Amino acid sequence: MLLTSVAMMSDAHALTVYTAGPGSLAKSLAAGFEKQTGIKVNIFQATTGKVMARLEAEQASPQADVLISASWDIAEDLQQRGWLQPYQSPNAAKVPDAFKTADYVAQGISALGIVWNTKSGTPEPKNWQDLTGPAFKDKVTTPDPALSGASLDLLAGLQNSEGEKAWTLFQQLKQNGMVVSGPNAQAVTPVLQGAKAAVFGAVDYVTYNNIAQGEAVKVIFPESGTVVAPRPMMILKSSQHADDAKKFVDYVLSDEGQQQVANAWLMPARTDIKAQRPLITEIRLLPMPQESNADRASILKRFATLFGQ
Amino acid sequence: MSRVLNSLILLALGILVALPLLFIVLQAIFPQLGAGSWQGAFSALPRLLTDDALLPMGFGTLKVGLGVVLCSLIIGLPLGVLRGLFRLPGSALWDLLFLVPFLTPPYIAALNWTLALQRNGYVQQLTGLDLESLLFSASGITLVMTINIFPVVYFAVSRALMASGQRLALVARVHGASAWRAFWHVTLPLLLPALAGSALLAFTLAIDEYGVPAALGARAGLTLMTVGIEQKLSDWPIDLPGAAMLSLLLSLVALAAWFAQRHLTAAQDVATIGGKPAASEAVSAGVWTLPIVLLFALTALVAVALPLCSMTLSGLLDTLSGGLSGANLTLRHFAALFSQQGDALSAFSTSIGLAFGAALLTGALGFLVAWRVAEGKSRALALLDGLALLPAAIPGVVIGVGLILLWNRSFWPVSPYNTPAILLLSYCCLLLPWPVRYVSSALRQLAPTLEPAARVHGASRLQALRLVVFPLVSPSLLAAMMMVFAVASRELVTSLLLAPAGVQTVALFIWRQFEQGSVGQGMAMATLTLIATLALMLGATALLQRSKKV
Repeated sequence: MLLTSVAMMSDAHALTVYTAGPGSLAKSLAAGFEKQTGIKVNIFQATTGKVMARLEAEQASPQADVLISASWDIAEDLQQRGWLQPYQSPNAAKVPDAFKTADYVAQGISALGIVWNTKSGTPEPKNWQDLTGPAFKDKVTTPDPALSGASLDLLAGLQNSEGEKAWTLFQQLKQNGMVVSGPNAQAVTPVLQGAKAAVFGAVDYVTYNNIAQGEAVKVIFPESGTVVAPRPMMILKSSQHADDAKKFVDYVLSDEGQQQVANAWLMPARTDIKAQRPLITEIRLLPMPQESNADRASILKRFATLFGQ
Repeated sequence: MSRVLNSLILLALGILVALPLLFIVLQAIFPQLGAGSWQGAFSALPRLLTDDALLPMGFGTLKVGLGVVLCSLIIGLPLGVLRGLFRLPGSALWDLLFLVPFLTPPYIAALNWTLALQRNGYVQQLTGLDLESLLFSASGITLVMTINIFPVVYFAVSRALMASGQRLALVARVHGASAWRAFWHVTLPLLLPALAGSALLAFTLAIDEYGVPAALGARAGLTLMTVGIEQKLSDWPIDLPGAAMLSLLLSLVALAAWFAQRHLTAAQDVATIGGKPAASEAVSAGVWTLPIVLLFALTALVAVALPLCSMTLSGLLDTLSGGLSGANLTLRHFAALFSQQGDALSAFSTSIGLAFGAALLTGALGFLVAWRVAEGKSRALALLDGLALLPAAIPGVVIGVGLILLWNRSFWPVSPYNTPAILLLSYCCLLLPWPVRYVSSALRQLAPTLEPAARVHGASRLQALRLVVFPLVSPSLLAAMMMVFAVASRELVTSLLLAPAGVQTVALFIWRQFEQGSVGQGMAMATLTLIATLALMLGATALLQRSKKV
């Protein structure tokens, strides 16, 4: 144990990256970066919640140099708190303006869609509305928007583009027996096993992974549009290794780094990198909502009341 | 000598338990603690008390906690009594089987049950039975948690009976009491400390449990306090003071239970182990052997075999959507584990090493604490007992936050933070209550004259402890250490928060597989580690037994 502690301490000059999943992507990015620059990377990978809790509790003596989160809002908040160190990577030139600011830039992007079990005996849904039909009676789940920022974005996006009609849709889904079931994975597992036929608004990249493993499911991006969740990457002001941190951001946005992002079934942030899945330019997006935190809280509350939670 | 020992115990308890708890309390009171500011004291309290969700959450937690205790007693007490009284075929096997629920991480247990019982789950695919509505309900949550927790009662009761033997009950029989009467008036009352102690442990475990209510609660429309605490720590903006405050509230509930337990057993004199040679060997159950074994087998079938089959099957199925069919079976998930640059193996050895360390440390410290508490009549020592219970009532994730707040400070010359030692510290803090509970109950059974008798005959204090007291409580201590080992080898929530860069434990490995959508590989790893850990524990028990005979 003592030996390991000493070994850890000698690594104090290494770059420390805190990241929300996927774990294999974090690992391969770290390995690729180390190979190219010789700089060792310490990865701490957990859920967004755990990463942020650790960051918050560590304020007395901050440890992280680079943070990659799954929620764009968190980056906005941290920037307002003055925790971030501005950096514009030269490699970010091909990242659309919507997915970069002076302080942070998207590492990759995921989108929400309908995840549908192809063996469920139900007709393939093309639009959100299709899940309210009799074929999907009691056969739909959805992640809890209180636990998944992206799900909340979807509710907000639908309300933003369709107003009260969006709430009619949620009402009809409720009447059709849709259940709210925890975080993303808990909504998807029942669909994999066939307990349910479809997920209303699931994160796409995990399901692409499932499909690659041979599962009989399909990701459908509705014609009327959906929302995306860019994954912001940022350098913390407290970082003692700002130059290495900048090199890391450059690497993630390089051709090689973005290819690894694509291999993890995410959409690359750069539009000129190809992937084996629909790209950001091929998905129809709902207008991005500009809600305040209060609006988001009221949407959550209305949704929770509707689904009797 | 005893002063030095006392200070050592206090120092260890201070570092392991009191300091992290202190920082949790400070965090609850001072919201800006992390940033080093003392502003806005108590601002989290009114926010917590005016939260509409607090009351239903509190009642839900109490209901499930009490339900789990009741169900655990219904299952654990009879089985424990039978195991303690009679010589049963395969008794070591039953003990081992009932350790399996501890070796399974709660979130995997919940997933096992979900995959087995939900609509179109394994049970329905095989038998047509659809138990989905039972699973996703308050009763379902209580039952699944009971299955994970009842062994606490089983082990406490059976070990207490084995230690105390049947001498007093035999005396009653000789004086004409019926077997039932002797059991009801002699054996059962003598079991009370073990029963109350394990019921207390079961209650705190139930209200502290996160994995099962998180996995099943959303569909059941039930939010328990642990889930509420975890939500405060995962929703942005992170609410550290709110989570700390709510955890303190939860630990107050556990403290209330601790007072009730002390009150309940304080008046009882249950010392049964005097100097008399007791023929404490279990008796044969005669014609009842078969029905008793059937009862054990039935319990093991439901509580152990069913979830285990579900787990193994999920590891063997090529795809979940493919369903149960011969064509869908594969070993590729197991094979994949061996082709990941040794990641799975290193995770396994890390977990085993940490669990072994935690079992040794908590065993030693727990024994000393329980011994001093049982011996001393002072109130300060009784407080030690309460202090050593508290970590069981505080959710692991909050203990984790406390440890970060404590150790991630520049004023420490050396800090365990960001080294594997922090995981060891967190496991010790979380699991110390187990040996303390188990050994305290065992010590209550020793006659207070035993140690003085040894001293009179010239034994030193240490000799009396080593040669008289320790051997008599060692079955209970060993059972507790086994459980610490089992729980520490699969702890997830705290490890997720505290794991230093590059260190991976089994639970983290499995969780990362799930998170990437590889249910099959996660389950394969869970199955393999379970078998390996069981084998290790079996080996350790065999070794211990052999050394005892020599």
